[in-house]
Amino acid sequence: MRASAARLHADNPLLIDLDDAVVDFAGHRALDGVSFCVHRGEFIGLIGPNGAGKTTLLRVMLGLQPVSGGLARLTPGARVGYVPQRGAVGDGQLPLSALEVVRLGKNDAAAGRAALREVGLETLAGRKYGELSGGQQQRVLIAKALVNEPDLIILDEPTTGIDEAAERDFFALLDHLAGKGLTVVMVSHDVEAIVAQVKRVICLNQRVLYDGPPAQFELETYLPQMYGTRHRALHHQHPHQEGDRHDD
Amino acid sequence: MMIDLLQYGFMVRALLAGLLVALALPMIGSFLVARRYSLIADSLAHVSLAGVGLGLLLGGSPVWWAGPVTVAGALLLEYLRQTRRLSGDTGLAVLMSGGLALAVVLANLARGGAVDFNSYLFGSIATTATSDLYLLAGTVAVIVTVVVTQYQAFLHMSFDEDSARIAGYRVRLLNYLMVTMTAVMVVLAMRIVGGLLISALLVIPVITAAQFTRSFRGTMLLAIVAAVLAVLGGLVAAFYLGVAAGGAIVLVALALFVLALLLRP
Repeated sequence: MRASAARLHADNPLLIDLDDAVVDFAGHRALDGVSFCVHRGEFIGLIGPNGAGKTTLLRVMLGLQPVSGGLARLTPGARVGYVPQRGAVGDGQLPLSALEVVRLGKNDAAAGRAALREVGLETLAGRKYGELSGGQQQRVLIAKALVNEPDLIILDEPTTGIDEAAERDFFALLDHLAGKGLTVVMVSHDVEAIVAQVKRVICLNQRVLYDGPPAQFELETYLPQMYGTRHRALHHQHPHQEGDRHDD
Repeated sequence: MMIDLLQYGFMVRALLAGLLVALALPMIGSFLVARRYSLIADSLAHVSLAGVGLGLLLGGSPVWWAGPVTVAGALLLEYLRQTRRLSGDTGLAVLMSGGLALAVVLANLARGGAVDFNSYLFGSIATTATSDLYLLAGTVAVIVTVVVTQYQAFLHMSFDEDSARIAGYRVRLLNYLMVTMTAVMVVLAMRIVGGLLISALLVIPVITAAQFTRSFRGTMLLAIVAAVLAVLGGLVAAFYLGVAAGGAIVLVALALFVLALLLRP
């Protein structure tokens, strides 16, 4: 399955190589032998429940978290743009203009404005980041990642807290960027939204449960593995079987 | 009125020192407020009082004692925060109460130092020597240079530490640099503003400015203006009313903040 998923882009340059990557935190194994490659031009959705190790894996890919075992390698010279969760930037304590947020990525006003133009927000450059809508904030953060002309952008829970219309615009923007050859890795627990958009799904729960095209990703097969048997029981039982829950 | 004041050498020195403090504190304060860490100045001020107490007890310039003690306290605090041995606010609380407790005991042991100690707590306009002024000017020049050259790094770090790391900034080192600058300014501003009031001048002008601005840079620049107004107004009031300089400065700063809240767009 992994081979078929990677086949489309396997000839493209390798950007990230994870081989049996393990991460331990004080007796707790967050990642347990994770292996996959990211090639240039891919559009990947990395999904999994809370506690699946998504954030740890994201930090490994960004070079912020060393692995306890195995290999995690970002191709030297490859530029990664990071799109943090909206809440991570600017907590409303002090104003930060949209352009200032973008210039955190690269301190160049002209490049910052060009990046804002790319995401359709050039006219809002002087507006307070905290006063923008959730969808607009998400675009500003993408502009911040784009300003460095990255080979790959990694987005952390990008659809959290934005409305449906903003989500549609957001995915249209990502499609546009992916169409221009940008490699995209999206990390999210929002399984259905992600699976509908990406070209490759990696389903994680400490280890890789599925890695392949979204069309073959069977939610019913992987949900129990993602969320445990309790989840399956809750979804499949009829109301009158409520008492059976204890059997799990 | 200002002309009268300027006939007094001590007042000229106090005004110059106050202006230097008003330039540097909001520059540091903007970053500290942005990352919700402005209470660090209060904790360090309490530690610096312990240094003053040590100076009063052992002799020599209390400020020279307070300097290394406060910087050491700042570096320890940052080390504890970075290694997650203490969360940010508990570390601040421990340092604050420990510093003040030590300061009180040391000041008590140094009998006769009580009057002098008050000027460190609440500030005084009569205590700035020419040598203090040179030291302050040199330090402020260094801090302004560091903030201007490392502005982007500090800004990135204040709003999103992980992204700053990914961007290649040496976040750990920059954090140590920021707390060291804060510690040094706390010590040098203590004689003017007073140890117990110093964090007010670090925070209030910044949040006053933020009522009107749309950008961080604009906030920092307007905060400097607000701090300068507070220091000038406060020192003049302290001179004519015969009250503690720190109290007067902070009250003017607060008045400006209330005005800003009323006038904000």
